[in-house]
Amino acid sequence: MSNGTLKGGNGRDAVDRTGPRVSGQQRAASRRWSRRTLLSALLIVLVIPATILLGVFVLDDRKYYFVSLLIILYTLVPFALVFENRKPQARELIVIAVLAAIAVAGRAAFFMVPQFKPVVAIVIIAGVSFGAEAGFLVGATAGFVSNFFFGQGPWTPWQMFCFGIIGFVAGLLYRKGWLKRSRLSLCFFGGLMTLIIYGGIINIGSVMMFTPRFNWQALAAAYATGFWFDLVHAVATVVFLYVLSRPMIEKLDRIKTKYGLVER
Amino acid sequence: MRRDAFASYHPVVGFAYFVAVIAFSMLWMHPVLQAISLFGAVVYSQLLRSAKALRFNLLYMLPLLLFAALLNPAFNHAGATILFYLRSGNPVTLESLLYGAAAAVMFVTVLIWFSCYNAVMTSDKFIYLFGRLLPGLSLIFSMVLRFVPRYRNQIGRISLAQRSIGRDATQGSLVRKAQNGMRIVSIMTTWALENAIETADSMKARGYGLPRRTSFSLYRFDRRDRLALGWLAFFAAIVLTGAALGHNAIRFFPSIRMEPATPLSFIVYASYCALCLMPVGIQLVEDFKWKFIASRT
Repeated sequence: MSNGTLKGGNGRDAVDRTGPRVSGQQRAASRRWSRRTLLSALLIVLVIPATILLGVFVLDDRKYYFVSLLIILYTLVPFALVFENRKPQARELIVIAVLAAIAVAGRAAFFMVPQFKPVVAIVIIAGVSFGAEAGFLVGATAGFVSNFFFGQGPWTPWQMFCFGIIGFVAGLLYRKGWLKRSRLSLCFFGGLMTLIIYGGIINIGSVMMFTPRFNWQALAAAYATGFWFDLVHAVATVVFLYVLSRPMIEKLDRIKTKYGLVER
Repeated sequence: MRRDAFASYHPVVGFAYFVAVIAFSMLWMHPVLQAISLFGAVVYSQLLRSAKALRFNLLYMLPLLLFAALLNPAFNHAGATILFYLRSGNPVTLESLLYGAAAAVMFVTVLIWFSCYNAVMTSDKFIYLFGRLLPGLSLIFSMVLRFVPRYRNQIGRISLAQRSIGRDATQGSLVRKAQNGMRIVSIMTTWALENAIETADSMKARGYGLPRRTSFSLYRFDRRDRLALGWLAFFAAIVLTGAALGHNAIRFFPSIRMEPATPLSFIVYASYCALCLMPVGIQLVEDFKWKFIASRT
């Protein structure tokens, strides 16, 4: 029996990376940002503003509705490319699929309560346990697939982007050590992210959809009317994180140790 | 839903068609083009999902249209023709009212086209299209679609097993019920994760990720698909030429201005009609063929 099998049953999966790292090493390694994470962060920080500027100065044609949709779609592309380029392993794919499916099922289970959805909570847990990229993919996939049950529309890319970016930021901050695994830290972060990032971006999206001629009063009105919905959503995220975070993270850790899934 | 003729075409044709009509509907606010696109979308949605579509269009789309139309003048006070003043002292202009109406029509048209897209471009077609381009993500996507009903089924099984030992979510006091419910979800999650690893190992054993694997495809790109794609490309090219020459544009502020209609712009309108009514036309031709060849005994 090889050493890898003794450690974590990883011998089965010869193509996978090394076996599970020792916790001390893992801690040190996770402090440094991987090249891929850095690349994704750069794409987000540089490519999005560049596209917005392009829309403003080159297309200068008041096609906000169209341009905004393009920008959002465009932001999803780098993640897809980075992910496909590294030829993901079957185990990695399937864990992302499972988490996204749980999020979709959670959204479906609470369909009768408006805005009270566990999707953001599960996306944050995914980002914390499996890293920024997995968090993004779980969020974006959950947004995309759940709309196959609830109906696709011009809002789909916006939701995909919002869920995805929350998972991505959760993974990044956890790696940097700013976000802890404690309930308090997760709940605080989750509520804030839902209110500011999800609510903030989705409202811009709905202003773009309803009034293609963007102006600040309409945006302010959208924030004012949307505030209570966003607040309910944020409260839901806090509640779900409070209940789910500890058992879920425990289960994911157990799976990681048992099958030697490497944190990315 | 009845069998739709256009839905039986190759997924490339369907996807290209919807990308084209949805993008065109978002780009141009010229009233004639808007009317054509809205008409095409409504007729096709009726054809696809007759009664349901009628309810959807009347119950949701009509109020939405009115709401969106009235929203714009409340925030937008640009325009030369002042109709009256709001109590806040801001003017309501004819231009902003018409612009609001045009924006609302655009929004509703896109939504109705999307409802047609949902009926025609089913998830298997989407996976067929993107399976080669994004193999990993398409696989995730198809697995999630499969997992959701599977988990529902599994939750039912777990809850039956728990009921036999008095721990179902319907048994005991309220606190007990909630605890039992949480336990069922917990069992479910653990099962899902374990099962996922098993599935992944099984996939690996059967050669997932090896090069030169064939894909499961049922679609063949044949003559009628080439014809449909050619039709689409031809009329889209005419409409885009019209756009480049400024025939599709309309300026709302400060005063409404359009290019005066010339023979060329009528060609553009006709091409846009041919584009937006393409699936309906295909269906009508199919119906006619069917009536023609069906035996009348």
